[in-house]
Amino acid sequence: MRLSITHYSATSAAGAGLAALRQSLATRQSGLRRNDFEGCDLDTWIGRVPGVEDVELPDELNRLQSRNNQLAWLGLRQDGMLDAIHALSDKIGAHRIGVVMGTSTSSIGRTEEAYRHLDESGGMRPEFLQPEVHNLHSPGIFVSAVTGLKGPSMTISTACSSSAKVFATATRWIKHGLVDAALVGGVDSLCLSILYGFNSLELVSSEQCRPFDKDRNGINIGEAAGYALLTRPELAPDAELQLAGYGESSDAHHMSHPHPEGRGAVFSMSRALERAATASGEVAYVNLHGTASKANDMVETFALAERFTETTLVSSTKGWTGHTLGAAGILESVIAIDTLETGLLPGTLNCVQADPEFRFPVMKDNLEKNISCSMSNSFGFGGNNASLVFRKRDD
Amino acid sequence: MTELQLIGIGTWSSKHGNWAEFCAGMQSGEWPEAVKLQPNLIPPRERRRAPQLVKMAIEVMDQACKMAALEPDEIAVIFSSAMGDMQITDYMCAALAQTPKLISPTKFHNSVHNAAPGYWSITTGAFCPASAISAFEYTPTMALLEACIQAAEEQTPVLCVTQEVAAPPALMETCPTKFPFSVAFLLAPADFCDSPLATVEFDVSQGSVEWPAIDERLSEFTSNMSARLLPLMTAFAGKRNVDLRFPIAAEMSLGIRLDLCTT
Repeated sequence: MRLSITHYSATSAAGAGLAALRQSLATRQSGLRRNDFEGCDLDTWIGRVPGVEDVELPDELNRLQSRNNQLAWLGLRQDGMLDAIHALSDKIGAHRIGVVMGTSTSSIGRTEEAYRHLDESGGMRPEFLQPEVHNLHSPGIFVSAVTGLKGPSMTISTACSSSAKVFATATRWIKHGLVDAALVGGVDSLCLSILYGFNSLELVSSEQCRPFDKDRNGINIGEAAGYALLTRPELAPDAELQLAGYGESSDAHHMSHPHPEGRGAVFSMSRALERAATASGEVAYVNLHGTASKANDMVETFALAERFTETTLVSSTKGWTGHTLGAAGILESVIAIDTLETGLLPGTLNCVQADPEFRFPVMKDNLEKNISCSMSNSFGFGGNNASLVFRKRDD
Repeated sequence: MTELQLIGIGTWSSKHGNWAEFCAGMQSGEWPEAVKLQPNLIPPRERRRAPQLVKMAIEVMDQACKMAALEPDEIAVIFSSAMGDMQITDYMCAALAQTPKLISPTKFHNSVHNAAPGYWSITTGAFCPASAISAFEYTPTMALLEACIQAAEEQTPVLCVTQEVAAPPALMETCPTKFPFSVAFLLAPADFCDSPLATVEFDVSQGSVEWPAIDERLSEFTSNMSARLLPLMTAFAGKRNVDLRFPIAAEMSLGIRLDLCTT
């Protein structure tokens, strides 16, 4: 089943909302900055969204205060998402719209803060006693509450594939008839767990990340919120854009290294193409996982070489946004979907010279080209992979 | 109503080590004096380093597959836990408050919510899709629903795991979970095998329902969100058909019917 994509939006270091994102991509203006995240003195670059800490949640949802929910709320107020959600809810009923969010670390930043201020007996102080925040479903709880949607609400947390897999779950829910539409999305915000955690694995770069460059030396952590409103095709007869298929797989290899030949990645892309009834030659552009880690980028080119010929253009946009982890799936899906709308195919910012060991060429410069089929790859820790195929409606 | 099969169950808690011990305990009131957690699927060296949450998951997943005599390489996985690995969360948050640059890289990569399905894929060699979800108080029922829908829509067996570990002191007030509990259900499409444990029918409807009451002999688990499917387990253990409705959201419920297949 192909689903209609009626609305979509993303907020990241490359801008809040689609207009700002398109502008950053077109002008090749990176959103990365030297690390200035409060409480972290690591020598690295980050993709911080300016002003998240000043976002005010609606009064009645103060109990859900966390940086992650502030970013979720900032993202939800871009590109008419809220109006579109309310209009659809009025039309088909709040119970007929599901909420599927993706996140890696949820509101852990708030839990970290609570631990810095524990009382003498080792318990949390009253302002931090927020059961609905200190758990993995915090983004789903917030988004359901703030939109008034009453359908099933769930949060997927499979590291960096989290908010790509939301599209798979939404497809199954709609196909099954559980709901007629789904608000899918992802939110991950900067926090010390992730910055110091990736630092402990020696995976963060002290420079701006350089995906697919021969001298790439690690990732930059970023934050983002993004959303897409998906419906049964008959509910949106005029919608041009579709989710055509999804593919999911595991690597069966290692907790923090990809399969050396990219077998899981190949499975994930193959299953997505198969479900989308799309030949690999029809895919004009793939937004890659492309983290700028040594291993990921190398292996991803191996997997691409198994499934695609060089007529398919591929790039990583993490040089603009950093690696937004559990939000990378939705952010980069939005970028892949938007190429169908704008014809602007982003290149790979900060990639100067490709690694000679790659088995697939990666697009460095931007290109303007009208295309009708794109794909997004997201691969996460634990060897968890997801690929998505997006198409312009062709009937 | 969509029809599926239940072909395997695995379970572990501080009170029982597997489904047979659970059934025996419910029948006789006698429970093992001590319960070990030693999943044979994980090599002994790795087992020592693996977090309790991962060991619990692998143990119950393995039990369910063995009961069904099914190899893991064609089974999709839905892992679920409202809170994830609270012991690692506690370690990470405490360490970050003191010595952030000394965070353990192993603990960090084990902190992802999909650590258990990751270990499962690595130890079994399965390339199947695996998810890790949370829906806070509705986690076990949303996981069961997600697994039922995936089994029906993708015509694949799905291993659904739901579990919580005991909360560390700093998290006890926001999540008062005192005892660990874990259960896995191996579901399969209708007609998947000749001798399932039960046929399963499920449906979702609007309207609020209360959580079905937990048998008071298991009252220590009422604070553990993953144990909210206990009424289903106790009926099934007592060889009774199951027809229950559970909340999946404030105003929505999941109906589950299990009809036992006598062999």
